[in-house]
Amino acid sequence: MTAALESRNLAVRYGHFSAVGGVDLAIAPGARHALIGPNGAGKTTLVHALTGNVAATAGSVHLDGEDITHLAQPARVRKGLARTFQINQLFRSQTVLENVLLAVFERQRATRAFWRSATGDRRAIAEAREHIALVNLASLADQPVHRLAYGQQRMVEIAIALATRPRVLILDEPAAGVPTTESAVIFERLEALPREMTLIFVEHDMNLVFRFAERITVLVAGKVLTEGTPAEISADERVREVYLGRRGHHAA
Amino acid sequence: MINTASVLLDGVSYGMLLFLFSIGLSITLGLMRFVNLAHGAFAMIGGYVTVSLVNLLGVPFLLTLPAAFAVSGVVGFVLERVVIHRVYREPELQQVLFSIGLAFAASALATIVFGPQQQPIALPSWLAQRISLLGVPVGASRVFLIGVAAVAAVLLVLLFNRTLFGARIRAAVDNRRAAEGIGVRVGRLFAVTFALGAAMAGLGGALAVDSLGLDPTMPFKYLIPVLMVVVIGGPGSIPGSLVASLVLGVVDTMFKYAVPDVGPFVVYALLVGMLLAFPRGLAAIRA
Repeated sequence: MTAALESRNLAVRYGHFSAVGGVDLAIAPGARHALIGPNGAGKTTLVHALTGNVAATAGSVHLDGEDITHLAQPARVRKGLARTFQINQLFRSQTVLENVLLAVFERQRATRAFWRSATGDRRAIAEAREHIALVNLASLADQPVHRLAYGQQRMVEIAIALATRPRVLILDEPAAGVPTTESAVIFERLEALPREMTLIFVEHDMNLVFRFAERITVLVAGKVLTEGTPAEISADERVREVYLGRRGHHAA
Repeated sequence: MINTASVLLDGVSYGMLLFLFSIGLSITLGLMRFVNLAHGAFAMIGGYVTVSLVNLLGVPFLLTLPAAFAVSGVVGFVLERVVIHRVYREPELQQVLFSIGLAFAASALATIVFGPQQQPIALPSWLAQRISLLGVPVGASRVFLIGVAAVAAVLLVLLFNRTLFGARIRAAVDNRRAAEGIGVRVGRLFAVTFALGAAMAGLGGALAVDSLGLDPTMPFKYLIPVLMVVVIGGPGSIPGSLVASLVLGVVDTMFKYAVPDVGPFVVYALLVGMLLAFPRGLAAIRA
């Protein structure tokens, strides 16, 4: 079976510093796949290289078998590879609806003319509201995003990513900066997404990782240490040594 | 009284030209943070396009205006894609040096091709005549110029505030990363915006040949008033630029007529006064 997202020997170097040093990943379609690793393991850089935010120094990235290594990020988004960031990336002065609507328009770009009104398209608005409803923000759709609580802003970013209709969605710490009580809510929303959508997420909270991930890749110093099911990872001595370390054992 | 009215009209038409000259610079400065001192070269290109078409090929003046708009826009687009986009990330000093060099090059090129002299233009008779506006005799070309510039200004505001193109631009400026994250090709979007600003200047240059003249010093001659418009109006603000252009145009023209000795300096006093009162430009007042 063709992997939904695959990297072959992917490397990102800054001068002599190797942030990502030859990573082979193969994420199956529909996966719920976590990337974990200690601070500085290169998780975010790996995500950047997968999504095209930084250029790979070596290796290749494949989306559904197609080589996308040389595509810029906007082109990868159109091919169905969307992402969210560790820190919210939103159009802060606009409303939740406008934020999501713009992503809907951008996806439909080929069939629309630039002079079309940005607010008069009922079908696009209806679709944007569906995405917003999916992340439980329907009642806040007409609020400017800067008025929302931080955790709600994180959900807006996910709604924006959904509006690009991704086949593969990469979430860089979707619950970062959100109180623990709310972070599970975010992951429950993610779990409710269509099964055919491939989800890859970077997450620090091991309870969330072992609760929601079906497969886990462990990165250490820019390289893949191991990959497996949550049970395999939590039983792996090396992982416990370098990562879980003295913080004790986390059961799945 | 009649004299005052016609001077006022002259001032408004000069102001409208300043608006067309400066709006592209204001937009590129506000959106891309690029200090483009070569922006006046696009006005010069538009002027030469119109003069060449009218004088050499006998094309009707009215038809040369879209040509001036289009040629300046295309030159702007190509220039942005080939060289200028590389300069966006440089510090301001590099941008200033680079763009002033570009202006000198454009000026030198115009001297080689067209010579250093003023370019004459024969307007069609319907523009050269004087018409009566509310009992005041005025030059038809002035009224025409003001009309064209006003339409351009309205279309520009609608484009930026009401359309998908405008929404995309505002999104890209607000948060480039997020815009790229939803698939907006920000680089190309900026090139189109840059080209639009260049095209507006080209239109202004074409309209200006009759009243302001045209020679290879054009990129520098109106650099100071254009920069004043951007500073007073606030970078990136279309209404701010329009108001600043009109105030500057009217005040400058009025004082040059009324007190020819000190007239030309009054606008500089105005600039200093404005900057002391509103350091961030007119557009910042409402915000």
